[in-house]
Amino acid sequence: MRSSRERQIPMQKNNNLNLNYMELQKFTYDNKIARLFLNATVFWGIVAMLVGLLIATALVFPTLTSGISFLSFGRIRPLHTNAAIFAFVGNAIFTGVYYSTPRLLKTPMFSELLGKINFWGWQLIILAAAISLPLGYTVGKEYAELEWPIDIAIAIVWVVFGLNLTMTMIKRRVKHIYVAIWFYIATFVTVAVLHIVNSLAVPVSFMKSYPIYAGIQDALVQWWYGHNAVAFFLTTPFLGLMYYFVPKAANRPVYSYKLSIIHFWSLIFLYIWAGPHHLLYSALPDWVQALGVVFSVMLIAPSWGGMVNGLLTLRGAWDKVRQDPVLKMFVVGITAYGMATFEGPLLSLKTVNAISHFTDWTIAHVHIGALGWNGMLTFGMIYWLLPRFYKTRLWSVKMANAHFWLATTGMLFFAIPLYFAGITQSLMWKEFTEEGFLKYPNFMDTVVQILPMYFIRIFGGLLYISGVVLMIINVIQTTRTGKFVRFEEDQAPALKPIGESNEKGHRIIESKPLLFSLLALIVILIGGIVQIVPMFMVKSNVPTIASVQPYTPLELQGRDIYLREGCYNCHSQMVRPFRSEVERYGDYSKAGEVVYDHPFQFGSKRTGPDLARAGVKSSSLIYKNSVWHYNHFLDPQKMIPESIMPPYPWLSKRDINLSSTPKKIRAMQKLGVPYEEGFDQRANEHLLQQAAQIAQELRDAGIEVEDNKEVIALIAYIHRLGVDIHKTE
Amino acid sequence: MTTEKNMPENQEQDYEIDTLTNDRLMKDHEYDGIRELDNGPPTWFNWLFILTIAFAVFYLVRLFVFRADDLMQRKEYEKQMAVAQRMAPAADEAGLFEVKLLTDNQSLDNGKQIFNSICAVCHMADGGGLVGPNLTDDYWIHGNTIADLYRVTTEGVIEKGMIPYRDQLSPQQRLEVSSYILEELVGTTPANPKEPQGELYAQD
Repeated sequence: MRSSRERQIPMQKNNNLNLNYMELQKFTYDNKIARLFLNATVFWGIVAMLVGLLIATALVFPTLTSGISFLSFGRIRPLHTNAAIFAFVGNAIFTGVYYSTPRLLKTPMFSELLGKINFWGWQLIILAAAISLPLGYTVGKEYAELEWPIDIAIAIVWVVFGLNLTMTMIKRRVKHIYVAIWFYIATFVTVAVLHIVNSLAVPVSFMKSYPIYAGIQDALVQWWYGHNAVAFFLTTPFLGLMYYFVPKAANRPVYSYKLSIIHFWSLIFLYIWAGPHHLLYSALPDWVQALGVVFSVMLIAPSWGGMVNGLLTLRGAWDKVRQDPVLKMFVVGITAYGMATFEGPLLSLKTVNAISHFTDWTIAHVHIGALGWNGMLTFGMIYWLLPRFYKTRLWSVKMANAHFWLATTGMLFFAIPLYFAGITQSLMWKEFTEEGFLKYPNFMDTVVQILPMYFIRIFGGLLYISGVVLMIINVIQTTRTGKFVRFEEDQAPALKPIGESNEKGHRIIESKPLLFSLLALIVILIGGIVQIVPMFMVKSNVPTIASVQPYTPLELQGRDIYLREGCYNCHSQMVRPFRSEVERYGDYSKAGEVVYDHPFQFGSKRTGPDLARAGVKSSSLIYKNSVWHYNHFLDPQKMIPESIMPPYPWLSKRDINLSSTPKKIRAMQKLGVPYEEGFDQRANEHLLQQAAQIAQELRDAGIEVEDNKEVIALIAYIHRLGVDIHKTE
Repeated sequence: MTTEKNMPENQEQDYEIDTLTNDRLMKDHEYDGIRELDNGPPTWFNWLFILTIAFAVFYLVRLFVFRADDLMQRKEYEKQMAVAQRMAPAADEAGLFEVKLLTDNQSLDNGKQIFNSICAVCHMADGGGLVGPNLTDDYWIHGNTIADLYRVTTEGVIEKGMIPYRDQLSPQQRLEVSSYILEELVGTTPANPKEPQGELYAQD
């Protein structure tokens, strides 16, 4: 326990000074928790990357895992993103925070127990995600897929972390909190707010729920969350780590204190407004989109403020950078951060977004951030920490250098082909012939064109992963050559009780961590409130369409299968108001069409075609009849030989879960979906009637299928998509 | 950390200098050995920030005050559609386009390409049929003349799932693909032919 390890030793006689102030107190730092998190970082890092490799390979060999439902692309891709963000990066954050916070505040962490709960709770959550996502338990919102019991666990563990951090600040022996801690505070308060607000849902059963928001409102909340998960999970905590580990490793002072104040506050204030840039040209009102654009553009300077402060801290140490793999990794990481944060605002310009959105450009962009900024900073931190934990030298500096080069070239081989792929495919989607028809009406033509790029991406990923394998060997060997030093002693005078102070400006709040946290909270709430509240309160933002009706019970069950299989990972449901999209997919999407969509399913990537109007028989290249869909779900390559969609043979074998229908209807009623009173009891009757019709159609075409199979529900859902708006005509 | 106390003769100056850069260090800023320099943000940083803020103000004023058309996506879309007029404005519907069987190699090659990229999804590349009917036999649901095929490709048979290609293929392309079916596919033997549908038409 902390108290038992703390002893007070009076400093040598210093008779004419305040004894209370000058007393040096001895205390110890416990390295155990940071080391646990470090091990978890390495472990989940390689898992996340191998899962990424699997899905990248599945894109070029779609039948790779055929027939195994829990290995299909749509279920595994969320596992990859969740593992990379919350398991790999998450554990890296905790490693750095639990190591640096006590040292910056000159006190042990407040509670060993809270630290343990934080660690084991977080690992259990990851384990729950790793099991539930492949089994198809998902909310269907990107980066927020985990179902409600896991969401609650995340909230609890996160608060435990925040409590431990806050109490440690209160117990500190340093009057002012350092900039790294500012970023930790912003991370804690904002992630808490984002996670709780975005995850609000009505449970249907254990491991199944519907988000309380629908359609365009759900989309806005989701991307307010999603974008700021990037900001406050992948960026701010890592800026905090940068502010600790870069000056430490380089043994240089931080370039500019003033810059850190400016870029900290402007970054956290502006970031929260930028979410709508994920919904440009969607059915989101113009004014919200415009806010998303301008706040993204204004983010360049605050982001680059962080880069400048990181890189210019190395002035006078560039000779060291050439030799030290740790510093090299930091430099490439910070540079990647600069690139990604320049590219982000660029992608937020509507003219650029019109090309980049829904393509592999986005995938390239996020991997510059993940592989470059998060990956490199984490690796550098690990190479710096390990020898200190084990009071030894890194087992092989050569190997770490090799890791550096593998990671850097791997990142380039990963990203550059995807930039080409994204731009190529987008231009093909948009190209018209001289006669005024789409040049590539067949979506498949645009996929075949970019498949070579997908192969090169796999090669890039392999390089990057082999670097991590070298790191694992290095970690194990370093651990073996040294002996773990759990406790490190330090001493500092007690904190002078806060009395009269003649400090000015920012220095005042730096000495009041609770006030600091409160101010950060206020600053991050503003943008979200201004954008989200009017979307719920002002009716003109979501104009209603009279002909839009709730889904039938069969369609609702089909929709849940669509969510379960993660179709949204490859298929968007958002026709943007461009001539090229209206020609290909049908009329552009309206906000009033998706008011019963809990959750929304706009998607963010078109690995396959948009499905927003997949049910509309005329004026679309997308409509296919039931027989086609049946054959296509079971064996896509039978219908389209070059298709890269995986097969879903289990859909024709598994029964629709009829017992869940009444519960689902009741949950929807709670959310305000206008099913009539008592419909929950008649829902299955209605469901079976509709299913019988579709099954009969299939049987007429010679397909042997029973009425109650899941594939029937999915076909019903697909054929409902986008049709309501045409009903009044 | 390479620092030194400033020279004793500057006693009124109460700061330290970082010897490698000659920059001034912040007084009393030390956290676990990390010091901070008393530099301001680089000038270009300030200008970059100011410029982006100016851009934001300009952008928002254009939208909220001047209601600029190019910032309202519906108007942008309408403009785009108005500009994009079909180069060949429905020549066939005006009766200027002659629907007749094409037999030259170029047209049939074009027809084959269109067939493989669009029609094969339902009729299979060898025409044997799967979701759509077999196009190689002599049984036809909607007739077997070039005019019949041209009509079906143009207008579709929506209740059967055959979509109209009026908006996706030019009249010439529709004629090419119809000709390809009649000239090259009819009479061949596909790998997995679908059973005959429709009426038997005598071979000519």
